Amino acid sequence: MPSLDIAAESRIEAAPMKKTSLLHRGSLALTALLLALAGIPFFYLFQRASGASGSEISALLFREKTFSIFFNTFSLIFLVSLGAVLIGAGFATLLYAVKITRSALFLLLATLPIAIPSYVFTYSWIAIFPWFRGIWAAALVLTFSTMPYIFLATYAALRRVDLVQIEVARSLGFNRLEVFTKIVLPQIRGAIGASLLLVILYVLSDFGAVSLLGVDTFTRTIQNLYKASFDRQSAAILGLILMFIAATIILIEERVHKKNIASNSSVRVQSSASLITKPMAKLASLSLIVIYSFLALALPAYVLTTRMIANFQEIDYPALASATFNTLLVSTFGAIIAIAFALPLSWTIIATRSRFALFTEKVVLITHALPGVVLGLSLVAFGSKISWLYQSVGLLSFAYALLFLAKAVGNTRASMEKIPPILKEVSLTLGVSPLSTFRKITLPLAAPGIWVGFLLVLLTAMKELPATLMLRPTGFETLAVEIWSASTLSQFNQAAPYAFTLIALAAIPTFILSRPDRIQQESNHVEKERWRE
Amino acid sequence: MTSLEVTDLSVTIGSTPILKNLSITLGAGSFTAILGPSGCGKTTLLRTIAGLIPPSAGTIRFGKQLVSVSSLVLPPHKRKIGYVPQEGGLFPHLSVGENIGFALNKSDLTKDQRRIIVAEMLELIGLTKFIDRSPHELSGGQQTRVALARALAIEPKIVLLDEPFSALDAQLRNELREEVSLLLKRRATTAIMVTHDREEALVSADIVALMRDGEIVQYGSPAEVYLQPLTAEVAISTGDALLLPATRGKNGILHPLHAQYSKTRSSQEKSEQGSIVIRPEEIKISMKKERSAIASLITRLDYYGHDAMVELNLEKSDFLGAIRVRIPGPVHCSVGDRVFISHVGPIRFFPE
Repeated sequence: MPSLDIAAESRIEAAPMKKTSLLHRGSLALTALLLALAGIPFFYLFQRASGASGSEISALLFREKTFSIFFNTFSLIFLVSLGAVLIGAGFATLLYAVKITRSALFLLLATLPIAIPSYVFTYSWIAIFPWFRGIWAAALVLTFSTMPYIFLATYAALRRVDLVQIEVARSLGFNRLEVFTKIVLPQIRGAIGASLLLVILYVLSDFGAVSLLGVDTFTRTIQNLYKASFDRQSAAILGLILMFIAATIILIEERVHKKNIASNSSVRVQSSASLITKPMAKLASLSLIVIYSFLALALPAYVLTTRMIANFQEIDYPALASATFNTLLVSTFGAIIAIAFALPLSWTIIATRSRFALFTEKVVLITHALPGVVLGLSLVAFGSKISWLYQSVGLLSFAYALLFLAKAVGNTRASMEKIPPILKEVSLTLGVSPLSTFRKITLPLAAPGIWVGFLLVLLTAMKELPATLMLRPTGFETLAVEIWSASTLSQFNQAAPYAFTLIALAAIPTFILSRPDRIQQESNHVEKERWRE
Repeated sequence: MTSLEVTDLSVTIGSTPILKNLSITLGAGSFTAILGPSGCGKTTLLRTIAGLIPPSAGTIRFGKQLVSVSSLVLPPHKRKIGYVPQEGGLFPHLSVGENIGFALNKSDLTKDQRRIIVAEMLELIGLTKFIDRSPHELSGGQQTRVALARALAIEPKIVLLDEPFSALDAQLRNELREEVSLLLKRRATTAIMVTHDREEALVSADIVALMRDGEIVQYGSPAEVYLQPLTAEVAISTGDALLLPATRGKNGILHPLHAQYSKTRSSQEKSEQGSIVIRPEEIKISMKKERSAIASLITRLDYYGHDAMVELNLEKSDFLGAIRVRIPGPVHCSVGDRVFISHVGPIRFFPE
């Protein structure tokens, strides 16, 4: 056994032997930066709320209004969750079960409602039914807006279910319904749960629909407290409560999520077996989707088209063009920033599993539930100290990135986790540095998921309203701002072209998102190479 | 050509010790097979040599270069290792040619030089026409070959093969095994292959190292480990072996196949209990009575085509257990036949 000679020791000193690579340190630094930036609204809320005395807090909490806010918020969460899961998961299952060859149209129909902002939905309904108000109305509109999230996630999960399992279960004597509840449902529960979380966070932070329909939720009340009375302290206390609710829901989802098992079989047999085979049943299933889409899509389409035709001569084309450009500009910037943070965060979570990274992810999720107004105000408080940042396009883009980062992180992380670690290891042993490995292996293989995350942030940022209202540079009109500024029905005629353009723009990423076939195919190649340890 | 020297290597994952003070030295240009059951730590050894797992103690040297000592660990991308994982681990988003040329991009090679290397490698593995194919369009054997070419393209100091043939069917495995060991020999590359297939280890490697519970129990040439196993366990893991109870005393080693077994067993005092290992090919079976042969009855016969496994009960013997013998084809006996067996070969005694 040779002893370690001094020459050998010095050789090893000479060679750079850092425990961490540039990629590692860089990701860690960016994650730390993200945590610091995402901490701004929380810091702001605590600072504002800390000025309140105990009696002030109890006076605020125990007044009757607060109870109705709680009641409204939770009723809305319950109703929308129920509606979105029933419709979203239901449609996904029907479409999966009938297994028609040309499903693209139905996928698009079921997904398209996410292109329509909740306040445009609301406007359209009010335009036809002037009595359309209150919590049931809000629940209906928000169900329309959020259902596609559940639909897409469930459909993607269903496609991952190994068809061999279904065939085995059938051969063991289970009927179709039993196969669904015993084999399929346990495997898609996780996806439904995760997307339901996004739906709940959406409902918590929605501002447009509840404001137009006069439903006092936390978000609307906070906005009103700021706007009407500049009561920032009470607003901050309510903001903290909202944050607490979001954190609780996130933790519950996480607990439940851990219990769900995902299919781990690497071989997926494509089979033509479908669960619904009778032509009449097929027709009925598909008609259901068509009827729903008609209700969800045709009504806004009708209202917008008629209003636009009625006002065709008065369309201010230069203003429309500049609003379109502005919307595209800030939402694209926002999506780019979101991905720029989502990549290092996802990498850090996967590579280190450190509490720090997982905590940052939680903070990002809670931020997703914050009303745009809270984020807006905290960034105003932060930005006003730095003159070049205050009311800049950069700050607004950053606000979008922070608000919707959760969507980007979820997809980026999932697609990065799917990459077999062996591929990165092989690349390293071949002498390729960790950073180049990330660029040449991780990025291209995770591209489908990153792309989906980018599109989701882009889509949501286009429709975002409260933070935009607060943070936009003076005179910087986006499509959402233009639509919102038409606060009465007569003015809605003028807003129609903007709404029409916004929906048309948002429909482009929606169209791409509604094609999981293509995205799925990409990731299947990766899964084929799955490493058996 | 680089030698590899692993000294007192320990690896602990979580709180479980996987490798325990493991030492092994491989000569430059040699091809070593690490043979062990799954879970013995052989893949961990390979990954530690590659720099993918940090050791808790011990040193690793490539030639004179120290790559790992206590907490100083050279990162994998600076080791110049050719790693061929199970099932190849080809990059699914790159073509065959891009896979092979993957690590050549960053070095100071010109585009033409790179193309030449890739073409050479493709020729070496006989897949020149497949340069633009996607990995998922290749068969398992082709994937393994491309993975090997990718590893060899960087002119690695050491090639690490992790069960490279396990996913292939038997015939392809034999072909590829020969091809790969020939290829490595021709390029005089130091290589280590881990496997749980004893035949694979014996056929392809110059040196076979037997691994058990995180330790190397024996290493040497294939003939050495097969013919002179240090323990009964090694004997069993390197090939079919008949394990029989035996005693060692002043009359020599007594075992059931010894003609004097039943007569002298009781008289042997101060004997040492143990077992002997006999390779099936060291047992002769004949239909006629020969001197010192023991009469026995065939109780079971498993026919494999090229040979057969026969189970025998010794007649007139104190040993009541079954004796399993592999006999080469053509097989002319059947269950119930009376045959005579005798042992020709070395006696390997392992005391208890």
